[in-house]
This record gives sequence, C-alpha cells and structure tokens, in this order.
Amino acid sequence: MSVWSEPTRQRATEIIGRYPKRRSAVMPLLYLAMAEEGRLSEEGMREVAEWCGITPAQVQAVASFYTMYKTEPVGRYLVSCCTSISCMLLGADEVLGAIEDQAGVPDGETDKEGHLSVEHVECLGACGGAVAVQVNYELIEGVTPDRARALVDWLRNARPDVVNGDEMQELFGTRRSFEWAIHEEDGAVGPYPAFQPLGTVGR
Amino acid sequence: MTDRVRLSIDGVEHEVAQGELLIKAAQDTGTYIPRFCWHERMKPVGMCRMCLVQIETPRGPAMITACTTNVADGMVVDTTSEAVKRSQEAILEFLLANHPLDCPVCDKGGECPLQDQALAYGPGESRFVEIKRTYVKPIPISDLVLLDRERCILCARCTRFSEEISGDPLIEFMERGNLTEINTFPDHPFSSYFSGNTVQICPVGALTAKPYRFRARPWDLERVESSSLFDTAHPRVEVHASQNQVLRILGVDHPNLSHGWLSDKARFGFEYLGSADRLSTPLVRGGGRLVEATWPEALEIAANRLQLIKDEDGGGALGVIGGAQGNNEDAYALAKFTRVALGTNNLDCRLDDTLSSHFLAATVDRALIDDLDTSGTVIVWGPDLKEEHPTLYLRVRRAAQELGATLIVVHPRATGLDDRAVVKLGYRPGGGFALLDEIAEGAHSDVSHALAAAKVTALVGLASLADDPRLPESVAALVRQKAPGARILPLSSRANTYGALDMGVAPDLLPGRVAVGAIGCANLAESWGDIPSRPGRDTRAILEGLVSGDVRGLLLVGADPLRDCPDRTLAGEALEAAEYLVSIDAFVNDSNREADVILPVAVFTEKEGTVTNLEGRVQRVSRLRPAPGQARPDWAILEDLAALMGVGLGLGSAETIAKEIADVAPVYAGVTWDLLDWEERDGVVVPMTGDQPLNHIPVSLEGNRAPRAALTLHSARVMYDDGVRLRHSPSLSRLAPGAVAHLSPVDAPKVGAREGATLRLVTKKGEGEFRAVIDPGTPAGVVYVPLNQPGAPSLGADAVVRVTVVT
Amino acid sequence: MTTLVVTKRMAEHPADSHTITRYQATGGYQQAKRALGMTRDELVEEVKASGLLGRGGAAFSAGLKWSFLAPERPSYLVVNADESEPGTFKDRQLLERDPHQLIEGLIITAIANEAHHAFIYVRGEYSKPARRVQKAVDEAYAAGFLGTGIFGSDFDLDVVVHLGAGAYICGEETALINSLEGLRGEPRLKPPYFPAAKGLYMKPTIVNNVETLSNLPHILALGSAGYTALSSSADTGTFMMSLSGHVRKPGNYEVPHGITWRELIFDIGGGMRRDRALKTWIPGGASAPWFVPEKHLDLEITKDATAEAGSMLGSGAVIVMDEDTCVVRAAERIVRFFAHESCGQCTPCREGTSWLEMILRRIDEGRGRAVDLDLMLDLGDGISIGLEWPPRMTTICPLGPSAVSPILALRDYFRSEVSRHLEAGGCPFPGGHIAGEEEEEEE
Ligand SMILES: Cc1cc2nc3c(=O)[nH]c(=O)nc-3n(C[C@H](O)[C@H](O)[C@H](O)COP(=O)(O)O)c2cc1C
Ligand code: SF4
Ligand code: FES
Repeated sequence: MSVWSEPTRQRATEIIGRYPKRRSAVMPLLYLAMAEEGRLSEEGMREVAEWCGITPAQVQAVASFYTMYKTEPVGRYLVSCCTSISCMLLGADEVLGAIEDQAGVPDGETDKEGHLSVEHVECLGACGGAVAVQVNYELIEGVTPDRARALVDWLRNARPDVVNGDEMQELFGTRRSFEWAIHEEDGAVGPYPAFQPLGTVGR
Repeated sequence: MTDRVRLSIDGVEHEVAQGELLIKAAQDTGTYIPRFCWHERMKPVGMCRMCLVQIETPRGPAMITACTTNVADGMVVDTTSEAVKRSQEAILEFLLANHPLDCPVCDKGGECPLQDQALAYGPGESRFVEIKRTYVKPIPISDLVLLDRERCILCARCTRFSEEISGDPLIEFMERGNLTEINTFPDHPFSSYFSGNTVQICPVGALTAKPYRFRARPWDLERVESSSLFDTAHPRVEVHASQNQVLRILGVDHPNLSHGWLSDKARFGFEYLGSADRLSTPLVRGGGRLVEATWPEALEIAANRLQLIKDEDGGGALGVIGGAQGNNEDAYALAKFTRVALGTNNLDCRLDDTLSSHFLAATVDRALIDDLDTSGTVIVWGPDLKEEHPTLYLRVRRAAQELGATLIVVHPRATGLDDRAVVKLGYRPGGGFALLDEIAEGAHSDVSHALAAAKVTALVGLASLADDPRLPESVAALVRQKAPGARILPLSSRANTYGALDMGVAPDLLPGRVAVGAIGCANLAESWGDIPSRPGRDTRAILEGLVSGDVRGLLLVGADPLRDCPDRTLAGEALEAAEYLVSIDAFVNDSNREADVILPVAVFTEKEGTVTNLEGRVQRVSRLRPAPGQARPDWAILEDLAALMGVGLGLGSAETIAKEIADVAPVYAGVTWDLLDWEERDGVVVPMTGDQPLNHIPVSLEGNRAPRAALTLHSARVMYDDGVRLRHSPSLSRLAPGAVAHLSPVDAPKVGAREGATLRLVTKKGEGEFRAVIDPGTPAGVVYVPLNQPGAPSLGADAVVRVTVVT
Repeated sequence: MTTLVVTKRMAEHPADSHTITRYQATGGYQQAKRALGMTRDELVEEVKASGLLGRGGAAFSAGLKWSFLAPERPSYLVVNADESEPGTFKDRQLLERDPHQLIEGLIITAIANEAHHAFIYVRGEYSKPARRVQKAVDEAYAAGFLGTGIFGSDFDLDVVVHLGAGAYICGEETALINSLEGLRGEPRLKPPYFPAAKGLYMKPTIVNNVETLSNLPHILALGSAGYTALSSSADTGTFMMSLSGHVRKPGNYEVPHGITWRELIFDIGGGMRRDRALKTWIPGGASAPWFVPEKHLDLEITKDATAEAGSMLGSGAVIVMDEDTCVVRAAERIVRFFAHESCGQCTPCREGTSWLEMILRRIDEGRGRAVDLDLMLDLGDGISIGLEWPPRMTTICPLGPSAVSPILALRDYFRSEVSRHLEAGGCPFPGGHIAGEEEEEEE
C-alpha cells in the first residue's frame, strides 16, 4: 500500500524511533513525504497518517497550519523573499518586485517549467542582513534588486543540483547579520529544508 | 457531599460545587454568560472569547473566560462590567464581520445563538466595509451533512465532538489564522455514524443536515419529547414535525443515557414514518392478491381463521413472532392476547439470533449504563458496539478515554473501540469457548488482572452469528467468578426487546420477568384467567413447527423473519408451509407479502406509551401526529381481534394498559405515566429484585470448538442494513454497505481476490455473490459479511465458508 | 568596552568556535560535568541567585521557572529555537556559531530538571543552523556527553533536533509543545501557566530559550555572584540585542544591561544611515510598543525602565526607523505579520488582526477614511481590552494584543501622519522610505 521507497521507509522508522510518541513524528515525516515527491501530495499525507497512527484529516490539519509544507506543486527552486518590517525598511518590496519581474513569476506562483517558485515570506531571522532571500531555505543576506535579478538568472541558467547558502551569499549577497567564517558544503536539493540527510549533500 | 465554595456573581453570593466551571456555576445559579464554543459535554477550548467576564485579583480586575475557569472560594465575578460589555460587543462584531447575513435562507435562522446574541449583546451595525471571506458553497462533507464554511465561527464543537466523543477525527481545522476553516480530507468524507450531532451542536448554520435542509423554519415546528427506538438504550429525543410530517429529531441531554448524542440512525431514521409505502388500510387476500378491506371485514376474517385453528388443534397450533417494535403497552397486549385469546405460549419477540430470554431480561446483577462511569474495568465481549449499540459505544468510549477505565474488548475482528482498549482479544468466529477456557485458566494475565482489580462492568452479547448462543451466558458466568460483584449488561439489539420481554413476549416469561410456570400463572389468574403454564415455542421452534405442520397459523407483529432470522432458509420454508398468516405491520415486507390478512399499525410518534431500555429504564414515548389512514396501535387491533374471538382483554386505552402493567407486573409497580411525565422525566429503572432465575451455565461446553476450516464466516449486524425502517428512509438506506465480504490482506491473495472483485461464498446454509473488500481489520482466516444487506444473499449461521473468485 | 559572555568564543575564534575541539579547548563541557555532581536544589538555587531572566521574550526568572517543575516523571526539556519575532536574529548566531555552548547549557538544565529527553525545536527556515546543531549533537554523542550514561555517569540524556515548518506562533511555548506532539501549533489554555506543571505529553516540561541556556555554563563557571557582577543594573548578566533597520551597523550585540538607547543606536549601531534623523524605534521585537527619540532616547535599557515607559525588551530586537519612513506602512507590515501568524483560535485575534491589516492597507493605498484611526483603536480595544501595555490578557496568548502595538504608536506619536495620508489620498512618502542600491557601505 505504501507509496514510499524502501530507504524512505527506513528513514521513517528511524525518525519515529526518536520520539516518545509516534504522533510527534508528523512534522519530520511530512518533510520526508515532500522529499519523496517534491511536494506534499494527498498520497503523501495518507502515508504519514498511517505511519503516525492518525487520520489523513488530522495530518492535513497539521500540514496546512504551517507555511513550509507545500501542497501545491512547487518549482525546483523556491525563492522566498522576506518582506517583514526590517527588510521592508531596506527595500524588500523592491527586491521582491525584481524577482517577480526577472522570473516572470508573480508572488505565490510557479513558472510553467516547474523551475522557479516565488513567494514573499515573513521574517527570516536575518534582519541585520536585510534584505533577506532564501532559495530552498538556504539564506542570502543583503540582497538588492540588481542582485536579486542576477540570482534569478543564475538559477535559470546554472541550474545547480545543490543550492548552497555560502556560495549564493558570495555571488548575490552583501551585508550579513553576523560574520560566518567557515564555508559549509551542505546545501539543499529540493524545495524543502536541507536538514539531516533530508535532501542534504556534501557531508 | 462534595466540597462547596462561595463566590459572588454580580454582587450576589452563591454556594456551588468546587471544581465546577464558572460558566456552569453561573448558569445553574441563574446568570447566563453568553458563549459559542463551550459545550457542557466537551472539554473547553476557550476559543470564541465570548464568555469573558471580569474577576477581582490581588492585582486588580482581570478578564477571564468563564468556560475555562474553575470556581474558587471567594471569587468575585462581574459579568456586566463596562469592560465585559465592550468585549462582548467586540467579539460579536468580529464574528459578524465575515459572517454572511443570509439568515432568511439559513436553517438555523430563528434558533441561532449568533443571531440571538447579536441582538442581545451586539453592536447595532457592522463597521466592516471590506469584502467578506467567501468559499465555494456548500460542500457535502458526508452523505448526510453539508458545510457552509463562511457561516462557520470556528467554535471547534464539531471537531471536538468527532475526536473526543465519537472517536472519528475526520473533520478538522485546516489552514490557520484568518484562513482557518473546517474541512475533511479530500476523498475521505466525514463518514461517521454520529455525524448528525455536529449539526445539532453547531451554533450557527454552518453544518446542516441534508434530510432537514430548507425543509422548515423553527418557529413552524411542533415538538414533543420522546425516546428513540433506533437504539436499545432509548436515548431521549425531541421530535419536530410540521404539518404532520416529522422533519427532524434532536438529542436531549439525559444524564444517564446518551448525553444528548444520537447515532445518525436515531437522528435521521424518521423518513420511513412519512413513507408513501406505509399501510393505511387493512389488506386481505382476495383472488390471490392483497386487496383493501374495512377493519370489520379484515378483523373478522383474521379472528375466524385463528379461532378455527385453535378449535381444531388447540392454541399450540398457533404461533406469534414479533412485538419488539412497539411500546410496552402494545407488547403487554400481545402477551395477554396470545395467552388469553390464542391460548398458547408460542410467542417470541426475539428472532432466533439472540440470547435466552431469562438472561436478557432477568439477570439479577444487570448493570446500569451509568455503572460505566464508575467502573475500573469494562469488558465488552459481544457485538461491535459502534455498529449495534451506539449509545453504549459512546459511553464506553468516554469511560475508557475520559474516566480512566481499563477497557477489554473481545471480538473476532476490529471494532470501533479497539483504539481505546487496553486489551484486545480476537478469536475464530465460533471458537469463543476455547478462548473462554484460556481466560478461565489464567492464560491471559492482563485480563485476569483487570478483572481482579476494580469494579467490573461486562457488556456481553453475541459477537458473531457463528457464536454459540450460550457463549454470552458463559462469559457472564466467568466474569462473575473472576470478579465477584461484577455487573453484567446482556446485549440484544432490537428496538424495544427488553420492554417486550418484560411484558412477557417470550415463550417462557410472563409480565414482570416472571417465569412461565404454575406459580407465575396462578398469580396472573385474577386478571388473565386460565393460561397455559408450560413454556411455549420460541421463534425457531415456531418456524420448525410450521414446517412440520404442528403449527398451522402464524401471527407476525412487526416482524420480518425472512429478513431478520439468521436461518432464512428455515424462515422461507416455514412461511411457505404456514396455513394461515396474519400480519400486524406498517409495511408490506418479504414475510407478509403472502399473508392472508395485514392489519396496518401505528408506529413511533403516532401513539403514546412507554418503552424499556436495555438497562431496564422505563421512559415515555409521545404522540405528535396521526397515523396514516386507518392505521391503529397494536393493542387496539389485538383487543378487537380478541373480542371477535369471544375474549374480552379489558384493555381500554394505552394508559389503562399501563395501569394494568403496574398492577400485574410487580417490578413495574408504581411506574405510571403520571410519574414519568412529571416527576421522573428521565425515566425509572425498574428494579432487578425478586426471585428471578439466574442461569448458571458451565464455563466450558465440551466439544464446542471453532470449526477447523481454512476460512471461517463471521457475520454481524452493522448500523445500516436492509431493515424495514431503514429501507423506507431514503437518506440512510443508501448508506448500507450492501453485499460485501471482507477478507484480510493475507487471505485475499490466497484466494486471488482483489478489492472490488466478485466473490462467490458458499456455506451449508446458503450461497451467493459478494463484492470483495480487502480489510486489515479482518484477521487472517476470517471472512466478514455484514448481515441483512440490500441485495445480499443469505449464508445462514454456518461458520464454514468456501470462497471463490467469480471476476 | 563590554565583557562578552555568550559571544566571547565566536569573537575570539571566528574560524572554529562551532567545533567540539575548540569548545573543549576553551573550557567547554567542564560545567556540565560539574553539574552532574550537584543536586537539583543546588542547581536551581544557583540559577535563581544568578538572576538569569529568560531571553525568549517574557524575561521570567529561569531558576524560578525550574523550581515550578511538578514532581511527576518523566520530565522533558525543550529548547526554544523557533526565533521568529521580526527583528530578532540572535539565537541564529548562537546556534550556528556556538552550538556546543547551547548543548552544555541544555545538559545542565536537563540535570537540574531530571529530564532524560530533550528537544531542540528549531524554526523550519533555519535549516543551516539546525544542521550545525545536529552536527554538534552528533559530536557530543560521539564524545559520550550525550546518550546513555553521559560523562561516564549513570545519567542518560537523549537530544532530538526538531525542525519547525513556518509558524511564528510555535515560538509560544505551549504552541511549541503542541507542535512537538504532532498537533496544530495552537497555544494551550492557561492555567497551567507554565509547562513545568503540565507540558509535553502532559508531563512536567521546561521550555527555555537558546540564549537563556547558552548562559548557563557561564553562570556555573563564574558562580552566581560573578555572573551578577557582569551588570551594574538590576538585570544581571549580558543581553543580546539584534539591531536592524536604518542604522549604519546593524547586527547582534552582546551588551550589559543599563546602557541607554542613545548609546545603543548611536554608538554601538553607528548612528543613522545617511545621517537621516531618527524617527522611531521598536525596543523589543515587533510585538513591543514603539519608542520615539523625544521621550525615550536616554532611558536605560533595562526590563523595568522599559516597562515603566510602556514597552518591553522582549526578544531584544531593536528596529530603527528614520525620518523618511512611512509609519502607516511600517504599522501595516507589522500588523500583517501578526495577522498572518495568528493561529486562529481566538476570535479577536483571528478576525481583528486581519481587519486592522485591511484598514492600514487601505489608508496606505489612499482609500482611508476619517474615522479609520478611531475605528482601529476601537478594534484594538476589542482585541486588547483597555489598550494597556502589558495587555490585559483577553486572548489565549499575547500574539493578538501584540498586533495592537503599532496602532498605539499611530495614536500616540503619528496622528498627523495618518491624517496626511488621508489628505494626500495615499502615502506622502513616495518611495522615500526605501533604501537605494548598495549605497553607503558601513565603515
Ligand atoms: C507569540 C509568542 C511568540 C514567541 N516566540 C518565541 C520565540 O520565537 N523564541 C523564544 O525563545 N520564545 C518565544 N516566546 C516566549 C516563549 O513562550 C517562552 O516564554 C520562552 O521560550 C521561555 O524561555 P525563556 O524563559 O528562556 O525565555 C514567544 C511567546 C509568544 C507569546
Ligand atoms: S491570541 Fe491569536 S495566536 Fe494567540 S492563541 Fe489566540 S488566536 Fe492564537
Ligand atoms: S525583517 Fe526581514 S529578515 Fe527580519
């Protein structure tokens, strides 16, 4: 009945094992479901329901509460531009506009090729490095409209298999909230956070 | 006595029970605090914020929600302060901001708390000039319930009900913040047997019931309180009608029964009342057809033929099946008619699928439903309560979930209570005695512990048609042995079975749970005269008697043995063989289609009376509307029949019958309509005292073992079947699963069956085609078939089944 | 100028402050080991005496909170790393750059509260910080500092790094607990006021902020007396402030309590960008009522002084706005945040915040009406009866009332600017409140 691959099933078993109660694994398993299919499908939610011993409606109630579980198809690169207060004060609306223009994708939508999705988001915790933009939850700080346009072009043309925050920061960012001297290899391979082996490479 | 605390509400001192919620304490002492989300039977969520009141604290006045705050000694509460009023106005303005003003077309209009409170506490007009939230409207979230999301005020009553009370968390909050909405998972409807409750508790018109939607305005409705006969607990209901049509049924919160909740069957199963198929004139056979007749004609024909058989072969050549559908007064009339006019004890309200009449009616240590609330251990060995005993299901769930009882469930497959069970034991259908032996020997230590530990309540009945009818009594005996003082609730699931048994509609019982015998008969002699003192035939023996010719005439009273008896082959042969068949019924059904006379009967909502539920609680049922055409109550029909047979039953009216019952049935002494109408509106439990026989059955029966077959057949009743009332209630009749056979995921590939495949099932008692359902709830080695389904062939009570794939 | 505490290691060893090697080489994990030899009472007393206040926003005494732990076991420990309050980014720095410091604080807290299972709840957008923490956790397991029998003792401690998924409200501790249980991240009813009574799985649970825990190794190392001595004001220790907006040098600064806003903005923050005038600032995260230079610039940055002036230090996020900033739009952005992040349980928060957002947007877009400011104040009163700060709680959690703070600022300081919007039929700062391209690098 399961739609999940064997390694994913193993991961699911392992994740559930970490928590005192099965239901607590809903959130990580939802990410797992997204990693499996690139977005959160109904099938994926049904599967999570079975693993956690709850109904699909209970899973959807949780999944739809959070903004990072995407039930609509998302592009390979999810570009999130912070437009909360601190970033807004430093031009976030203009940066978002530049991204929309260059990508030809309005806020909240995905291009036809399934390549780029654009969204505005609330505060990313990078206010000292406003304007903040994330690609697949890998952060770039100090983004300006010009740099945002260059970022979109780069995603279009270079089509990196892994998006890496440090690399993008060097190419498209300016001021950061704080210094970070070490270069990190890990990055995201899909529109969900690269955490633990989930969509992470470079280890 | 519980501890009391003193508090002041709006300057008036009150003494209330400690630990009570402020909103409840205020209400009970006369101060109504407005609310939307709070519901007395569910955990508070404090979401709507309508019940904010002001209390004094050491740090000055504070605002708190009365629905989430327990009373405390010395509490000073102000429910009318300036701040409270401002906040009430604000909440209402916020709620109305996005609420459509479509009250004129809303079912809730006229009985809508939002409407009422907006009037009482709200600001004059809305200052919301923005565009209101809209949704595609309305969406069906189940077969019976529709959802208008923009009307929803997010009180979480429906979601709490489905999760906390009924255990079907299928309707949930989705999204968040201002986008929050109630919904189901796509393709996974709110298919709960209890979905209608959400409609009743929705404080606005967001959830509406298809059978009622747009049918009436509340102020046009006539209403009476009554008891539902769709559930053997007889939950309290309010029946609403307009222009003599019953339009809806609401649950009434009865503290000892269902707490106001109803199964959808009890709530929506009223459509049959107004069905065009209802019989409204007597029918007699003429020229091979049933033709309309006048009452005198029909009664005379029936009386003459019954008298003829009695004269020729004695009362023993007559049999009576049925009597569980009507009121106690009808049942009493039937018991008396059978003994006095027909002169026989061949009488049974059970349809051969159930337990001994003594066990059902005269178990001295019978439990009350309320015992569940104080039990440390509850054991359910019998039917899936969710399917057959909805009120008990909710009460057991509550006991296990909220009150901490240890729940043991024994059943051949998955049941609705498994998720709350601490111990769940399964067994091969028909093999219950083997498991019973194991438990008796202490092989299941968890069960032994639970039975030894605390106050035990056991709900016992037949889990499966394959089970030996003596199994439940043995289960009860074992429970008594392991847990002295345990209380037993024997389960049978027909409308007023317990009432009918109490009235003596059984071959071996007289009114008041008195055994048929010299003493019992002698005690009745004064009012009944001479009656046969040897037990008569039960349903099975009557049917067999008909086949053999020993029984010649049959009276069916609201019974359809062809559909309801497990052995349909026997029922068919018996009806075929019957020389003379009289039926008292509301419908033409499979069994009375060939009757010689059919007498139309008044049913629920059409006659006054009393009924007795499975714990022995007697309650009133009420009349709200006339019966169709010339249909009459059973007792009136029986009285006239008896008169034509030369016997005066002296019944007079339902109310005088009730008095006679109170006279002749000792345990019913004092239970008068007056009492039930005025002082004891919640009913009276008639006592389990006296010298009723208590069966002692040995725990183990030699040679009774599960059949050694590859596949064992487990047949059981489910909520929706092809019973006559449901068949004529279109909203519910569609919900029956139909001819399906459940196979475990292990067996399905073995027989080569895929989901939806057509299977041929063959037993010694029958065969036919079923649609395959692959069901993880059914264990390997078991084939599960819901009983009495539309279009389903009968397989009989045989446990050995062969399964082949047709397509 | 200041003694650095929680940011000392990263300042001195920028290249490898996050590694277990560097952490141990600079005295790391000594205090956790020591804590194993102390009783629960000793630890609670020491932390109480240190005066350490929670750094998650509510500034409640950490030691006092621990002392509320109900006797039932198991107990749990949850680290609140959900940092999502607009303007706040200090926990991210601690997570990324000194995760072992947090883990050591976590171990000490677990010992003090007899918890054998701890969860670090990191907001979903912090995938990189979460990776760093997970890596540090793995290192600590490998070193025997976590897992079965930590440091060779008989104390077991398991740590799970749990990733959120985009919901600010999950920073509220009871919402966080629901989220961790696999439920919707909705705050629970109070009482109980602290999860220490009934928290995760209805068991006693300690929830502390990342910065709070990061202080613990230092409190044990310095002793409560030494720690208190770090500050000259009643608020002990240091405080991380996230400075953002129109200052020259935004960033996180670990400062002692008791400096003034003038010092923070003009000395530490390098003053206003492009030398514009300071118009207003938010002293403690988007929830806090705003300050203006005319009244508040020389106030001390302490819990009490800020409270007395009608605001709060909250999460320590200072958002600075210059004279060209449109306060209507700034207010709209903050209200929009709360409307978007409302969990939706409480009627006033769910309906009121979005209504406020709609009105502010209308005013910004030139469709304002004369009555709108009063209407907003009235709606604000419906969300937060009496419009006081701290709010008289009429909702389950303080999120709803927080959304009213910007409206109070409009009422108290910027009435005329609202009127100018109405008169001008829209925003009178056409593009004026926007930063240009990469001009003016910080010095
Ligand atoms: C709406 C809301 C959001 C919050 N967000 C956070 C947060 O992101 N991080 C945090 O540590 N505390 C947050 N808090 C405070 C927590 O509820 C809690 O007080 C804190 O985690 C306790 O830790 P502390 O005592 O160490 O500060 C928030 C509170 C509220 C009401
Ligand atoms: S105030 Fe808002 S965020 Fe807080 S519980 Fe209520 S609705 Fe949720
Ligand atoms: S406001 Fe944009 S990252 Fe903080």
